[in-house]
Amino acid sequence: MGAAIETKNLTKSYKSKQGGRINVVDHLNLYVEEGEIFGFLGPNGAGKTTTIKMLLGIIYPTEGEGYVFGKELGDMEVHRIISYLPEKPYYYEHMTGLEILRFYGSLFGIKDDDLFKSLLEKVNLAGDMTKTINQYSKGMQQRIGLAQSLLNDPKLLFLDEPTGGLDPIAHIEIRDLILQFRAEGKTCFISSHELSDVERICDRVAIINKGRIAKQGPLDDLLKGGRIEITATDITEAFSKTIQDKDAIVSFSHGRLIVDLPDDHNPNALLDAVRSSGGTIVSVIPRRKRLEDLFLETVSGHDGSSVEIPNPNDAKEGAEA
Amino acid sequence: MKKSKSMLIGAMAVLAVGQGLMSSGVILPQWSKNYKPRAEGIDGQLGPDQLLFALAGFRELIAGILWVQADRFFETGNYDAILPIIRLVTLLDPKQIDVYSTGMWHIGYNFTDEEQRSDRRYIPSALALGKEGATKNDYTYEMFFETGWMWYHKVQDDFPKAVDWFLQAQEKKDMQQARKNVLGMAYQRNGQPDKALETYLRLYNESDALLKKEQIYSHFQNKETLEKNADNTLIRMIQRGWLAEQEGTFDQGSYDTKPPFDVQFSARVTVEEARVIRVEGFWGVRPVGTRVRFILRDSDYPDAIPGGMLWDKTDTVSLDPPRDRTWAQDELFVRNQRFNRKLDLSKDPTMYSFLQPEYTIEFYYNPRVAPPHIQDKFGWSGEGMTDKNFLRTDVREGSRVVFTQLTLTRDQILRRGEWADKVPIVQTKNFIAPRNVRTEDEILVTPGMLSEPLEPKLNKGERLGGGEN
Amino acid sequence: MRPILSIAGTTVGEAIRRRVLLIILLVGILFLAIAPGLSILSARQERAVLIGLTLGVIQLTSVVIAIVLTVYMIPNEIERRTIYTILCKPVQRWQFLVGKYLGAVAALALMMAMMTVVLIVVYAIQQQVYSPDQLAPLAKAPVMFFVQMSLLAAVAIFFSTFVTPLVNFFLSGGLYLIGSAFSSFFESISQSANVQPFAKGIATFANMILPNFAYYNVQNPLINPQQAIQNETVYYIQVTVYGLFYIGILLVGGILIFDRREV
Repeated sequence: MGAAIETKNLTKSYKSKQGGRINVVDHLNLYVEEGEIFGFLGPNGAGKTTTIKMLLGIIYPTEGEGYVFGKELGDMEVHRIISYLPEKPYYYEHMTGLEILRFYGSLFGIKDDDLFKSLLEKVNLAGDMTKTINQYSKGMQQRIGLAQSLLNDPKLLFLDEPTGGLDPIAHIEIRDLILQFRAEGKTCFISSHELSDVERICDRVAIINKGRIAKQGPLDDLLKGGRIEITATDITEAFSKTIQDKDAIVSFSHGRLIVDLPDDHNPNALLDAVRSSGGTIVSVIPRRKRLEDLFLETVSGHDGSSVEIPNPNDAKEGAEA
Repeated sequence: MKKSKSMLIGAMAVLAVGQGLMSSGVILPQWSKNYKPRAEGIDGQLGPDQLLFALAGFRELIAGILWVQADRFFETGNYDAILPIIRLVTLLDPKQIDVYSTGMWHIGYNFTDEEQRSDRRYIPSALALGKEGATKNDYTYEMFFETGWMWYHKVQDDFPKAVDWFLQAQEKKDMQQARKNVLGMAYQRNGQPDKALETYLRLYNESDALLKKEQIYSHFQNKETLEKNADNTLIRMIQRGWLAEQEGTFDQGSYDTKPPFDVQFSARVTVEEARVIRVEGFWGVRPVGTRVRFILRDSDYPDAIPGGMLWDKTDTVSLDPPRDRTWAQDELFVRNQRFNRKLDLSKDPTMYSFLQPEYTIEFYYNPRVAPPHIQDKFGWSGEGMTDKNFLRTDVREGSRVVFTQLTLTRDQILRRGEWADKVPIVQTKNFIAPRNVRTEDEILVTPGMLSEPLEPKLNKGERLGGGEN
Repeated sequence: MRPILSIAGTTVGEAIRRRVLLIILLVGILFLAIAPGLSILSARQERAVLIGLTLGVIQLTSVVIAIVLTVYMIPNEIERRTIYTILCKPVQRWQFLVGKYLGAVAALALMMAMMTVVLIVVYAIQQQVYSPDQLAPLAKAPVMFFVQMSLLAAVAIFFSTFVTPLVNFFLSGGLYLIGSAFSSFFESISQSANVQPFAKGIATFANMILPNFAYYNVQNPLINPQQAIQNETVYYIQVTVYGLFYIGILLVGGILIFDRREV
């Protein structure tokens, strides 16, 4: 497997209103493996969409370089094998779902109504393909967007906020589709500021803030550092004093013991000891570090790096400057 | 990309040169000839915005809207409002002949003072509009005919001009058959009955041929009319001795036009009140039908000639006649050998501003405009007319006319200064006031009952300077 | 070529559904329909006024449609982000721009054809003329107007690659007015003896540079048909070629700018 996306010091700067320049994307070094689901995470205004647009060749980097499947950004051959689902796009409202696919298909030279219909089925719009877009709900519009992004059977999909503004059921539908893509060997580049869905399916993520990568790596690595909470009753106070682990947080009252352990500590010894002392295990709850926590830590500087919440007026995503 | 970019820039340059060459080299001359909006002579009559809009390709639209708008003013008789519209429409769309012809007619006829005296200062403009319309629409007879008609009927002088325009109208393919005989009438007025006869006969043959081709009543009617016209002309040519004159036998025969009849013209002008003038006089012709032209004008009126002005001098249509200039013109109708007319020029200060120091009064009679029964005596060009004091042969080429001038000052007309209490009177030396007659209303004479002019009575006290100049 | 045609087709579909354009078109057609009621003059004047008014209405309506249609075309695509879904496909920017332009021209053709049909029907009813020989020449001016509007649309597309719609509206509209009026001024300047050679040079240069919209105002001979125009067809072909040259310049210029434009 090679690199689907690789950037070296990719930078985009705009003139700011105060004068001077502001780097919306600041010396970004990304590496996305072929076949993986890559989460590109960050708060609004972090530079996510700008990065995607540069990768697509819609806007041009101020500095640095990037490659998609080894080709320079904006290469037309690459456009044949990638696709892009923009955030909250509008499609030509006068067209029906099927016409939209015919139109986008024609841009690839595809004139295959069977393909279009099967795609509509795939995104669950087969019954609505003769309705015009202005009769579609938001979720349906997002799904027709997905369908058009699958027209060329892309090897790489850029999904910009794919679940933005959708209800939870639609979230799940989209997530299932993305999982299906991975099964088909497609690479997905998902940009999102929401975390609940993607945290479960991304193989690797990069957290971007103020145009810089704050954290990057396999999801499991980034999520290390969770804890396990063990609750037991019928415990004597003497027993509670025997717990010597300096990383453990122990609380005891009226025979009820709660121990909070880092998740890299093996809890078995403790559980055995509780049982042998005649105590009863009530619950063992592993509390993995959640992506939200990581995200929050990163962008608010709890992680030790000095990151400020960006002012959206200074650097909005997109081509406002 | 760099290569294709420079290629594109190269293509742009080639196209730019190409379009530039096409535009100025090939298209502009043709456009200029056939499609260009005519904007000359606009002279501030259009605002810059109107002008821009008009030139921006909406000329015909604007012209149409304006013309529809003008229609409203026609109904209300608001001619002052129509004229600028007419000028604008013709500038915007010089192909609208009806606007030209109606405009010309309005300018020529519809500006009058309170007593329905036409404002002659407009006639050069009316003719200029006619000329312009004819030049810009030289594919049709219409403006040539209309311009000729203005000379023939409104100017009533300088008939060669009318003949010339009617001749040009005849040459156009669309000239109406029924209108062609006007050329013959113009020839007669111009003292060329032979040409008139020739015209009638030619048109008679044309109508005859047309009638044979197509049995239409109008052809029949044309033929009838032309036959009658030709007959009349021929009879008159014999009666008036015209043919004899040509053949050199005039002296031997007894013709109505000989000997020349003395009209014994005399006139007196009285400034009865400020700007109110009475013109009275004698004209020794008993049958009705004589109109003597009377002009009261600035002595230094530009382009004035005896009995008129250089009507044809300008090619510019101006709707703003010189406000500091005065030109009053009227026809004095002769009844019972006398004319007596009060002209109140006080009500129209824009027409008669009386701003100049000296004024010339002219009396002018050209027998070419006389009705046929008088021409039977006078001939076409006044051969049978004379006047022992005022006959002039140098005033109009080929025509014997009666012409004289008197002079008034501004103070006299306005009754100011030394004339505040005195009644200014100027008259020809031979003027004899009629006995017991004060106004035309008091004359009770049955036509044909008097053989001699009314008894003259000298009125020495009223005589003043003047006389014949 | 296929992407260009697809984009053009979609543009037409969108344009003929834009409410603003439909309202303008409707007003134009309404004016055409009531035009006979305005001409209440004598028979021949009626004909001249009728043709003059109706052709004027078609031209004016077309100008407004051409400008309103094109100034928003590119900015709307950007605002609605549809341009991203198109440009991330194997579609070159120049193809997008040309497709949009051709779509605008096709939509204009459609709308102008509709108005021309109304014009001819109104004329036929009003003047009781039904022979195609007499009615067909009426379409001459609209055809030339169409070339004129195509040129105007190219101007607006060109400006839309780098200015906002509002600015573009006035730029294109202004250029239309200047381009319609300038050759007249130029003629009088170049023929006038009082003008400095330097000013004449500037006028000549401007005349060569400006798009000359006046060339397409050929309605007068239709209003006043007695006028004989020589080589009319040749002239029509020449001004059409001229228009194509100019449209080419504007599109290439637009492409060069749009190619580096951040959208």
